Amino acid sequence: MKDPYLPDCAEIVNVKRQSHDTKTHTVRFVDEARQTEFRPEPGQFIMISAPGLGEAPFSLSSGPERNDCFDTTIRAVGNLTGILDRCVVGTRIGVRGPYGKGWPLEKAKGQDVLIIAGGIGLPPLRPVIKTVQRSRDMFGDLEILYGARTPADEIFVDEYEEWKRIKGTTLSLTVDSVPKGVTWPHKVGNVTALFDDMKTSAEDSVVMTCGPEIMMRFVARGLLARNFRRNQIYVSLERRMKCGMGHCGHCQIGSKFVCRDGPVFDYSELEGLPDLTL
Amino acid sequence: MKPRIITKVELGHFVDGLRKDFQVIGPTRKNSEHILSVIHSSEDLDLKYVTTILPPRKLFLPPVENLCSFSSTGEAILTDIKTQKMLILGIHSCDLNGLLLLDRVFGEDYPYPRYLERRRNSVIVAMTCTSVAETCFCDSMGTGPEPKAGYDILLTDLGERFLVEIGTAEGDRLTGLMRGKEAERSDLELKKKILVEVKAKFKKRIDTDGIAEIFEKKLDHPLWKELADKDLACAQCVMSCPTCFCLDIRDQWSSAPGQTVRCVEWDACFLLEFAEVALGGNFRKERSARLRQFMGHNLSWGGDAQYGPVNGQHKCVGCGRCIRVCPVGIDITKVAKEIRGS
Repeated sequence: MKDPYLPDCAEIVNVKRQSHDTKTHTVRFVDEARQTEFRPEPGQFIMISAPGLGEAPFSLSSGPERNDCFDTTIRAVGNLTGILDRCVVGTRIGVRGPYGKGWPLEKAKGQDVLIIAGGIGLPPLRPVIKTVQRSRDMFGDLEILYGARTPADEIFVDEYEEWKRIKGTTLSLTVDSVPKGVTWPHKVGNVTALFDDMKTSAEDSVVMTCGPEIMMRFVARGLLARNFRRNQIYVSLERRMKCGMGHCGHCQIGSKFVCRDGPVFDYSELEGLPDLTL
Repeated sequence: MKPRIITKVELGHFVDGLRKDFQVIGPTRKNSEHILSVIHSSEDLDLKYVTTILPPRKLFLPPVENLCSFSSTGEAILTDIKTQKMLILGIHSCDLNGLLLLDRVFGEDYPYPRYLERRRNSVIVAMTCTSVAETCFCDSMGTGPEPKAGYDILLTDLGERFLVEIGTAEGDRLTGLMRGKEAERSDLELKKKILVEVKAKFKKRIDTDGIAEIFEKKLDHPLWKELADKDLACAQCVMSCPTCFCLDIRDQWSSAPGQTVRCVEWDACFLLEFAEVALGGNFRKERSARLRQFMGHNLSWGGDAQYGPVNGQHKCVGCGRCIRVCPVGIDITKVAKEIRGS
């Protein structure tokens, strides 16, 4: 039995700046067979490590649309992310996974898909957008609501036009604030400020949301007030994780392990659990 | 093989004989307490003990160990597990049930080879517990004083002699190496009588009926804040718990080639940084939330709730160590009673 804690060597093959503090790393396992069998589902996560610096969970920002490499979009906020931010093409990192339960794409078939993301919550939803794009006939309309702190904090900006060209897709943007001298033709306010002009209704739709927990709290409440049901709202949770396999206990929320039972949960599953601000 | 009877002297010979093939581990005295340690001679053994400072978990999950090292090109090289056939002698029912729960944590969804290999290489000679401490409550948790499963051999102290019962084929084989004689009906009757006496000694108990659901409904109970005011969050309860499994993975960087290592070590939900994430976010920043996590995991959302139903087992096995070690007198049986509201 291979030890599941042993990371596999992977090489950064491309680095793309997304914003002042966020980059997308395209990564490929050094071992070809490992790369070929690596088929993460949208919404799953991996454990990335740098020898001597530690290991942490990161969502994948690419999905099954490619199998020769994968993307992870990382905001530099701490020790490990700070190091990863400084990695260049050719740097080797350690990768384990994929882990967890992803977005409910089977359930979403034939339904309208509403994506609501805040800040660095957008990367795990990008593979959903790609999946809808690739299998356009299998899903209803796609609506993306994205909120960032300021215009400079938005990520995947150069992909918005392509997303908007996906048939039946609308993309609405908002920022919390606009610095003086910056032109911003879109909405200002929290992501829920986009709800008034939202096209998706509670009928025949599935909502997938990821962002700060407090944002998802207001998103869920806003949707419930618009007659969405708890079990059609899916949230992706952030927690400290050391293993990804239900061993280390850090991501426990009541009887759920976010790594094993999530990170994507149907909102009704989370009712009454401790240590949640949802 | 049928149950056997051996004298204390014969048990001593048996243990000394086993040392050829096994690293024998059992309870030994350390000042006023007992610990589980390597038995070099049967005279080291002290089977008249209440509880050990640390539970047998330490034998399968060392407090800290290296997982892997890294080559200069960044490849992870697995640190081998030292495997030695281990025979654990004299553990009580609470601790045995604790191991059975850890077997599920590390054996089910994602098998953890380090734990499982040590477990496969171990033989368990359990003891019917006859020494109930002021802090014990296994009887009410359904995890003692008599072990029901999970042992290779079960010993019961009948006074000057031991009743030997067999749980597995390996236990049967080893019992074949024992002297002694076949047990008589009166020996089995004596065991029953002793168990009745032992059960009458418990001073603490938890009424487990519906306790899991009661906890879930009382997440906002004022007791959490009240206890948090005196709680030191020292995590001794977690460290001494036979079923607490939380782990930390940590790197130790070294400038010497091949010396950078990744370790796995015990962690505790009581510690402030346990649920901390980037940018200072902390999902259990309040001490009351951490205390509630420890108590709730033990009595509500751990055990069966986490790993599917087996005999309605809670994570807590009633060993009482958390009560013994708490410097401020927090008592899980009192917490359970207060949360229930009776």
